[in-house]
Amino acid sequence: MYEKDTIVALATPLGKGGIGVVRVSGPLVTDIANGMIGGIPEERIATFTSFLDAGGSPVDQGLALLFKSPRSFTGEDVLEIQGHGGPVVMNLIVERVVELGARLARPGEFSERAFLNDKIDLSQAEAIADLIDSASNQAAMSAMRSLRGEFSRKVYHITESLVQLRTYVEAAIDFPEEEIDFLEDPRVNSGLDALIEKISDLKNEATQGALLREGVSIVLAGRPNAGKSSLMNRFTGTDTSIVTEIAGTTRDVIDEHVHLDGVPIRLIDTAGLREGGDPIEIEGVRRAVKEIDQADFVLIVVDLGAHREDLNSHVEQLMYEIPNNAPYLVVLNKSDIWQPTTVDLSCEYVLTSAVTGVGIDVLKGRLKEGIGYTVGGEGTFIARSRHLDALQRGLEALSKGKTAFADSRAGELLAEELRRCQLALGEITGEFTSDDLLGRIFSSFCIGK
Amino acid sequence: MTEKHFEVIVVGGGHAGTEAALASSRMGCRTLLLTQNIETLGQMSCNPAIGGIGKSHLVKEIDALGGIMARAADEAGIHFRTLNARKGPAVRATRAQADRALYKTAIRNALEEQPNLLIFQQSVDDLLVAGDRIEGVTTQMGLSFYAPTVVLTVGTFLGGVIHVGMEKREGGRAGDAPSNRLAARLRELPFQVGRLKTGTPPRIDGKTIDYSELESQPGDEPRPAMSYLSTGEEHPRQVACHITHTNEKTHDAIRAGLDRSPLFTGEIDGVGPRYCPSIEDKVVRFTDRSSHQIFIEPEGLNTREVYPNGISTSLPYDVQLDLVQSIKGFEQAHITRPGYAIEYDYFEPRDLRTSLETRYLAGLYFAGQINGTTGYEEAAAQGLVAGINAALSVKEEGLWCPDRSQAYIGVLIDDLITLGTKEPYRMFTSRAEYRLVLRQDNADRRLTAIGRKLGLIDNDRWRMFSEKEAGIGALSKEMASRWVQPGDAKFENHLGKPLSREYNLLDLLKRPEVEVESLLSLAGLPDNNAGVSEQVEIDCKYAGYISRQQQEIDRVRSQHGLGIPKDIDYSGVAGLSNEVSQKLHEVRPETIGQAARISGVTPAAVSLLLIYLKKHKASAALKSA
Ligand SMILES: Cc1cc2nc3c(=O)[nH]c(=O)nc-3n(C[C@H](O)[C@H](O)[C@H](O)COP(=O)(O)OP(=O)(O)OC[C@H]3O[C@@H](n4cnc5c(N)ncnc54)[C@H](O)[C@@H]3O)c2cc1C
Ligand SMILES: Nc1nc2c(ncn2[C@@H]2O[C@H](COP(=O)(O)OP(=O)(O)OP(=O)(O)O)[C@@H](O)[C@H]2O)c(=O)[nH]1
Ligand SMILES: [Mg+2]
Repeated sequence: MYEKDTIVALATPLGKGGIGVVRVSGPLVTDIANGMIGGIPEERIATFTSFLDAGGSPVDQGLALLFKSPRSFTGEDVLEIQGHGGPVVMNLIVERVVELGARLARPGEFSERAFLNDKIDLSQAEAIADLIDSASNQAAMSAMRSLRGEFSRKVYHITESLVQLRTYVEAAIDFPEEEIDFLEDPRVNSGLDALIEKISDLKNEATQGALLREGVSIVLAGRPNAGKSSLMNRFTGTDTSIVTEIAGTTRDVIDEHVHLDGVPIRLIDTAGLREGGDPIEIEGVRRAVKEIDQADFVLIVVDLGAHREDLNSHVEQLMYEIPNNAPYLVVLNKSDIWQPTTVDLSCEYVLTSAVTGVGIDVLKGRLKEGIGYTVGGEGTFIARSRHLDALQRGLEALSKGKTAFADSRAGELLAEELRRCQLALGEITGEFTSDDLLGRIFSSFCIGK
Repeated sequence: MTEKHFEVIVVGGGHAGTEAALASSRMGCRTLLLTQNIETLGQMSCNPAIGGIGKSHLVKEIDALGGIMARAADEAGIHFRTLNARKGPAVRATRAQADRALYKTAIRNALEEQPNLLIFQQSVDDLLVAGDRIEGVTTQMGLSFYAPTVVLTVGTFLGGVIHVGMEKREGGRAGDAPSNRLAARLRELPFQVGRLKTGTPPRIDGKTIDYSELESQPGDEPRPAMSYLSTGEEHPRQVACHITHTNEKTHDAIRAGLDRSPLFTGEIDGVGPRYCPSIEDKVVRFTDRSSHQIFIEPEGLNTREVYPNGISTSLPYDVQLDLVQSIKGFEQAHITRPGYAIEYDYFEPRDLRTSLETRYLAGLYFAGQINGTTGYEEAAAQGLVAGINAALSVKEEGLWCPDRSQAYIGVLIDDLITLGTKEPYRMFTSRAEYRLVLRQDNADRRLTAIGRKLGLIDNDRWRMFSEKEAGIGALSKEMASRWVQPGDAKFENHLGKPLSREYNLLDLLKRPEVEVESLLSLAGLPDNNAGVSEQVEIDCKYAGYISRQQQEIDRVRSQHGLGIPKDIDYSGVAGLSNEVSQKLHEVRPETIGQAARISGVTPAAVSLLLIYLKKHKASAALKSA
């Protein structure tokens, strides 16, 4: 049923030292092996090898494992690539596999194929359905987070320019008897150039910037004195943030790039949330709220020492105050001072002490899961690479269209490439149908008899 | 009439009905065509033109399946043009201005000559229903006719209301009675009914037009043809069209009449087509335009009447007169028939199957304007498909409908039954994602072999088609084996640059600036069938694009061809959101591919469906074992 498509994804969480597995499944597997490692590894035998980029130079080294259909997880030819270059390098490997003809797998798609190819028992149908359902919901949320802020603004801007260009080109094709020949309009050429430039700029920016340098943003939030800055310093191993016993110490946003077992993250310390205070603190709280709003993940820090009597209601109050559109985790800090004997919170939590270091490893583990370097689940990092992949395909279509148009003034070939570009961008911004396009034509031009 | 029992009954002799009746009778089914008035068989309700962008694609597909529309247009066409001639072949289209009378004659002749087909002038008032099956129809004279399949193609006639200014009256189109009994009967059945609107311009007496200042637009020479069977020889005498424009005075006259416009005072609530706005709509919506183009189209060779294309209107008659007479060339114009708008019933097309059979009554098929489309070509295409499927069902064979990658007909029907429509649906090439493959030049290559299997293609057409196919094969083989050496002055002069290595003729043809005719003549090869060399050239020039689209088509077919059982209960599909299962329940897609095209049905939802189907099938197999 799926014999046509080859899919690829990061298959495991990135463990210690950043070892990760990229899994490829489908008919192109042997071609991809040839392109990636310059040969086809022997079946079911782990081969130590270099992974090559398009120019043939190694990006990473590790193990490659080939499983031939039907004796594989999915029932199709499967290639597993184990690298240890951390997420950035693993991502390069995934990109290379896509270049060689695969597409990024949808959440849960490997299991889906395994099921459809009789590799998983029929009684597991519900479980697979659940997996697909939850994984794609998670992916949808991650995609929304990846789309926030500047990136989103630019993508929408690009889509809008594309739609405008298509409006011209398609109108020229479907309404040639209107009084203007849109294809002769210099705006088509200049629009095309501008669009190509905008997409490549955004792609470059997103590749070097947001994705790789900044990583996923994690915000520490809570009441003053909860121990946010102390936790921050635990993570960074420095004393970036000032820690004092005075409530309201931190008054501005402080961020620091750290690696969590090779996963790049951007940790953000904020001012403790409370009403009132001097103008500086009020501004600090305003900034904290803004960061929380844009975060990929929020750590809600609670001072156990100060809330022995009212832990539940305090946590509830905090959750109410903190906008919860991003995933979060409640951190019950200062566990060295006091620990409740039973905790009956309705949300996920960890117990930590920023002073003794107890619970910090558990916290890191939960964080990694939460930001999505886990099997099946999709975090912002992967969501962003899906977006980059879509931008790349859009860009390729545009350059082809430009060539076709220059060579033969063939409007229909340009139109075809613009349509493909729109399909690719539509994976980020949502579908734009041919009827939507016609609607734009009719509202832009006075057309018709 | 003594015969009461038929295999197929077609109701309505418009563009949908005539194709339906011809198709089913050609496939060997005893067919009865019932229509209000034999004089209006094949009547063009609106403009006297067949074809155009996206539409000639449909006409040629109908022709490739043995339909009549293209041949009638060739016999009646008095002005032919190729549109988009300077763009690529995929978006080229043909349009014919037709002499109305000749067109009707051509259609009527074909119907009268068709074996297995009986025509009877009767208006149908009632449907005979037994349980959830159609059994036949009853006419206004109380005559009943019986058949296991009935194709309904009654156009704009159901509950038709005609508007001219603030005046409205019942009518099916100017001069014809509406079908109110039948409309009421259909409303009793479980169909979902809506109202749509369309309009037509006033007609003008050509004697009263001053053409001296108007731009003349002759037809193309050499003259294109619609049918694959035509040579252009059968075309009658050709005449020119003319072009004029509205001006500020026209727009003032229109604005002054808006308070008596049924469109702007809320009299009309049916939705009109966005791409075919009335002139009052254009003036109100595009205030920056001080002028709109009007094509003056002759209505026929034996009449002076003309059709001013571009000023469709339902303004009061006195305003129509003012606006017409403000236009250059029309200062003294006499209006022969006022323009009007018409509102009519249509049925939710998502209640149809791909065969165009209705979900609620087995054996009843809907085709044409009643499915929410507009246009002769769109109607004819549906009529053909409904006629074919009625015949297939009589013969107890599986249904047939082309898919989106095979034909614009497939795009049309898939759009209708999957997405439905909120306005009168017209075909555009931008609706077809496989536009580069679905060309008007290759409809025969896409469909004629299928038509032959269905029993639609007679021996003459089949022989012509087979010869052409063989010719294409032979010519490309020949060209692939003819090599041109570097230094060959004849070719290098023509190409304007030296050849770097040895090339065969097909390689050279890939170059955008090289044309097949000159290449063949340089090589000393005969070019005795333009249809053949054209195909070789297009295949060659589009090769990369065609193979990419073909790969995509194969991929989609292999993943999406899987059928969904009719009785599926979407609420039982694990993981589907309420919203998605509601949508699936409304459309009831027949295949996974159709499900995937419903807006809001995500790839994850498709996965969930696949998993459900797999499990379902396995447990069903278990039960039956
Ligand atoms: C005012 C007007 C303006 C239009 N403008 C345009 C336009 O600008 N562009 C365009 O492409 N299309 C236009 N159309 C639409 C075009 O005419 C139709 O799309 C096309 O004719 C539909 O074909 P059909 O076969 O579905 O119906 P029709 O051509 O309407 O044929 C219906 C047939 O059914 C018969 N009939 C009706 N009721 C009964 C009954 N109870 N029993 C027996 N026979 C019955 C009628 O006599 C008629 O022969 C317009 C139509 C009208 C009326
Ligand atoms: N015993 C104990 N003290 C802690 C712990 N974490 C933080 N503290 C102390 O609590 C006080 C406040 O810590 P900070 O890290 O400055 O708290 P904050 O949340 O950043 O406070 P503001 O910046 O004022 O919002 C300091 O005196 C810390 O030493 C802990 O786990 N255990
Ligand atoms: Mg602090």
